[in-house]
Amino acid sequence: MAHSILIIDDEDDIREVAALSLESIGGWQVIVAASGTQGLARAIEHTPDAILLDVMMPGMDGPTTFRELRKNPVTAKIPVLLLTAKVQSSDQRRFADLGVDGILFKPFDPLTLHTQIAGALGWN
Amino acid sequence: MDSAGQTVIPQGAEFAAALNRLWSRFLPEIEQRLAVLESAAAAATKGTLAPQQQEAAHAAAHKLAGVLGSFGLDGGTSPARETELLYSAQAVPDPGQAQLLVQLASNLRALIETRKQAQAPAQ
Repeated sequence: MAHSILIIDDEDDIREVAALSLESIGGWQVIVAASGTQGLARAIEHTPDAILLDVMMPGMDGPTTFRELRKNPVTAKIPVLLLTAKVQSSDQRRFADLGVDGILFKPFDPLTLHTQIAGALGWN
Repeated sequence: MDSAGQTVIPQGAEFAAALNRLWSRFLPEIEQRLAVLESAAAAATKGTLAPQQQEAAHAAAHKLAGVLGSFGLDGGTSPARETELLYSAQAVPDPGQAQLLVQLASNLRALIETRKQAQAPAQ
């Protein structure tokens, strides 16, 4: 059975490239959300196998969205990977301290995004 | 996955075509971000860069750093990141930094134009 993944990112281009990659190369079922608030609702509605969560978003940012996901019993156990263009080690430490399941970096290679995610989540 | 458990990779040309369609669709947004950088760099050289414009340039550089490589423009990541870093400082860029910002924006422009020309249909 194909994996399902929720992509939460406010940037249309990133969201669509990731969706194209994971659907057409990974063969996964992709759900998208353009904000943290929308992402929470979609996560509750679809309970995907994993969530790819952008860090910097207007309104509810990635870390806040992650905390809300963890508070809700419906979404608390869904693995979450942060997606960020922040490469400084201080940022990475801060993100790791949140307790996320992994951190992926932008720009990602659309040809290998699914293998990065699968590797981070032990889906190989 | 196929019956052998291997990931199913669609025809390379098919995927590349789909990615190219996304590039064409989002090119106006990408060029808008670049225009923000060019405008801010020009203002920095004249000493008229307003804090709001600097903040907008910082955000535009961050977004370009995050996306250009996914469209195959790997060479754009480094100048976009350097630009983001220069605009992230509290202080207004000094004259040397302003010149560097102009050069970085010019490098990004050249890369994007090359990608556009490579994809342009033959006349």
